[in-house]
Amino acid sequence: MAVKMKEIFLLIIILLPFFGGACICVIKPKRQAYLEIFVETIVLLTSFLVFYSITHRPESSLVVFEFAANLTIAFHMDGLSATFAGLIAVLWPLATLYAFEYMRNAERKRSFFLFYTVTYAVTLGIAFAANLVTLYFFYEMLTLVTLPLVFYTMTREAVLASRKYLYYSLGGAAFAFIGLIFILSYGHGTTEFVLGGVLQPENLGGVRNTLLFVYVLSFFGFGVKAALFPFSSWLPRAGVAPTPVTALLHAVAVVKSGAFAILRITYYNFGADFLRGTWAQDIVMTAVIITILYGCSMALKERHLKRRLAYSTISNLSYLLFGAALMTPLGLAGALSHMVFHGIMKICAFFCAGAVIKQTEKEFIYELDGLGRKMPKVFGILGIASFSLMGVPGLCGFISKWNLAKAAVLSDNPIAYIGIGALLLSGLLTGIYMMAIVIRGLFPLAEVNYGKQQVQDPNWYMILPLIVLTVFIVYFGLFSKPIVLLFENIAKGRW
Amino acid sequence: MSKNILILFSIVFPIISGFVLLCYPKVKDRKKIQIYMLGVFGITGGFVSNIITGRAMTYTLYEFMESIPIYFKIDNMGRLFASLVTIAFILSGLYSFGYMEHERNEKRYFGFYLIVYGVFLGLIFSGNIVTLYIFYELLTLTSFFLVIYAQTREAVMAAMKYMFYSLCGAYMALFGIYFLYQYGTTLEFTPGGVLDPSLLQGKEEFFLFIAFFMLIGFSVKAGMFPMHGWLSSAHPVAPAPASGILSGIIVKAGVFAIIRIVFEIFGADFLKGSWVQQVWMTLSLITIFMGSMLAYKESIVKKRFAYSTVSQISYILFGLSLLEPKGFVGALFHTCVHIFVKTGLFLAIGGMIFKTGNIKVEHLDGIGKKMPFTLWCYTLLSLSLIGIPPAGGFLSKWFLAIGSLESGISVFSWIGPIILVVSALLTAGYVLPITMNGFFPKADWTYKRDELRKVMVIPILILTVLAIGIGMFPNRLVTYIGNIAEQLL
Repeated sequence: MAVKMKEIFLLIIILLPFFGGACICVIKPKRQAYLEIFVETIVLLTSFLVFYSITHRPESSLVVFEFAANLTIAFHMDGLSATFAGLIAVLWPLATLYAFEYMRNAERKRSFFLFYTVTYAVTLGIAFAANLVTLYFFYEMLTLVTLPLVFYTMTREAVLASRKYLYYSLGGAAFAFIGLIFILSYGHGTTEFVLGGVLQPENLGGVRNTLLFVYVLSFFGFGVKAALFPFSSWLPRAGVAPTPVTALLHAVAVVKSGAFAILRITYYNFGADFLRGTWAQDIVMTAVIITILYGCSMALKERHLKRRLAYSTISNLSYLLFGAALMTPLGLAGALSHMVFHGIMKICAFFCAGAVIKQTEKEFIYELDGLGRKMPKVFGILGIASFSLMGVPGLCGFISKWNLAKAAVLSDNPIAYIGIGALLLSGLLTGIYMMAIVIRGLFPLAEVNYGKQQVQDPNWYMILPLIVLTVFIVYFGLFSKPIVLLFENIAKGRW
Repeated sequence: MSKNILILFSIVFPIISGFVLLCYPKVKDRKKIQIYMLGVFGITGGFVSNIITGRAMTYTLYEFMESIPIYFKIDNMGRLFASLVTIAFILSGLYSFGYMEHERNEKRYFGFYLIVYGVFLGLIFSGNIVTLYIFYELLTLTSFFLVIYAQTREAVMAAMKYMFYSLCGAYMALFGIYFLYQYGTTLEFTPGGVLDPSLLQGKEEFFLFIAFFMLIGFSVKAGMFPMHGWLSSAHPVAPAPASGILSGIIVKAGVFAIIRIVFEIFGADFLKGSWVQQVWMTLSLITIFMGSMLAYKESIVKKRFAYSTVSQISYILFGLSLLEPKGFVGALFHTCVHIFVKTGLFLAIGGMIFKTGNIKVEHLDGIGKKMPFTLWCYTLLSLSLIGIPPAGGFLSKWFLAIGSLESGISVFSWIGPIILVVSALLTAGYVLPITMNGFFPKADWTYKRDELRKVMVIPILILTVLAIGIGMFPNRLVTYIGNIAEQLL
């Protein structure tokens, strides 16, 4: 049946990288190149299928498995899924290409790419999840499959960081689980994602406040992965992982899964109408605003390149959560646009940092003096990514900030007004901490003895992803109208 | 294709030419760069003169965000600023031909010089606030490279300071723009303001606060207290012609943006009599006095004139803050005067430093024996800065004082003129000693006569003539500005 075929496709998309990745441990490629070709083919094929599936969209959801009457593993493709899946489908092949070069001389390369590819499958599972149970299932799995990537280097620091990551994530998921139970009990036995929520506010009566409390709990629970203050300290620590992991997982896939889950419970389970104007909204919005400012203040004082970017991620993820906390369709649209645009620009910035680390083995910002002269392409692109992060008009960071602020202005909520201020203050601080890196690289403060060291731009494995991402940054910055319109339609349930 | 696309050409052409110059590898021949620059100046100047003499026109590039196009518009204000900016950029550019010969990396300087010029034209021709904001940010990011040019530690620090102050201002302005987008009928500049009274109901106080926020934000570029800190660091470290441009022109971007938002977004009536107007006046008066005082005490020549800019720009802001035709005329007239005077002064001072290598005031004793012509130009320009008739500065202060007295805003109407006079005295105190000690050194002087090259002297001379001439034959200009004032108020 042709119609059903499209739904089954979703399952195939998830299974392909899962088993494809798992195959790596079975086959023993003789040469590095074969491994590369194999992995890249699987990843590209998956991404292609994702886009095929987005354009040929399945109407209904696919129930794969039933634990019990209400507990089902089911997949579907709605606007939110399409956005998240589309984002990672673009980024994964690029990051894989980049990872080949970055891991060129590393040990245990096969197990690295095994987990790297399996993570793709799990993240897609989160994107396609049709109900909270499925989402929760893949969410826990994501913690487990990315764990080996964090302690990959096997240093003491890495092991400690991964332990912290594990405890934080599992702890957060436990809180989210409470939310799951309550949705099951009060959502008429379903946790399905329906825009507007599955609760029926008029029937809730006395449990209203309990539910709001549960919402706050699960917001913070999922917020652990989205690095919500005060549960954010695992993220900078996890920066000990190799850069492709930090760039793709800790700037996009993992952390955005947390934010994605929050968008799901806010808009699709509890329902924005139920939450808007309640004390729960005030609490989460305040927490988000604090995180925005906390992230960029910490980034300002951090001197380690990758950790600074990680703090910047903390702050930027909370832009996204700010969109969630606005609880209006426009807020969701703003959150989606920042999800996509931040993914693109932050991975770009991380790739630049990784290129510097790979080429020079320098990890601290004060060591970067004058390196921009040696690596003009990398630093040029880092400059563009920084401009975009701080929100220079003409680049995509400006657009998502605009959308968030537009939603905040229309929400008529005084805390949201403060949130706009926080967005802009954070933009200024972003300017300071990002430009400090770029300026140091291009205009050394003191005379630098470059020495005989042969530092240069990396090869095309690394440059190509950077260029592609830069093109996206500029393109979406200049011609944002169609995609923003798409996000707004998704948020209104019209896609 | 209509003539309107000329607007786009005039903006994009210098920007692209600048990029070409930056990217084009290994042109070592100085002559070729100079010819190239002349060509670009000529063509852009042609575009600009064609635009400003033509009829009013608009050009929409494309829809940047939903219902917000990148939109350009030519009106009288735009014409005035475009012609002033073009004159200053071309003259300073000519001067750079001579000045930059002892610097390395001329190409980078000239490349960014052209880009800044194009971006500035974009700012002037912007027809709505988002377009203006885009060019305002771009102006910061491109003029940044003029400040950092020397690449010394001092220059890098100053450039970063400049950037962060400017960004801070830009974000404050952006905060307001977010709200204007929802509460305005349109974002296009419309004389009298665009706020939607029906939506505004009950939120007037909040919007006054927003207006204040935007005002402070844009005044960063204009160096108004308390956001003036960057100016005295950033302007002196650039090469002299770039300092001239920064001090003479770039600061006017702030003034220009303030005129746009106050008169064409919020509307003068909205602010008249509010606390915003009073705070604005107070701040500008404080800045006038403080800038003069700081300049008076400063002994590094270029820094002294940077402080002088702080003070002088606030004359303009004070005139605007009166929200009254005479004051407006004074403000715009002073804008014209200050562009000529300050650019000219920086070029003259730069020439003296160029020849002697001395950066302190007391080391310029006897300079008049070495470069009498430059010092004469300097003196005439100084007279205009102080405001001695018949030089241009006199007339602008006259209008400012009259405007202030006529405005009838309690205390300010008479405090304003007093501060203007005090500041004029201080101005005389900080500019004239260079002339006096230059021509009549106390100790023995060892200078031989060694005048600047023609390509550097002529721009200074032209600027001097303009600065004096504008005061002697002001009628047409005053009428022109009067018309603008009538439209806006």
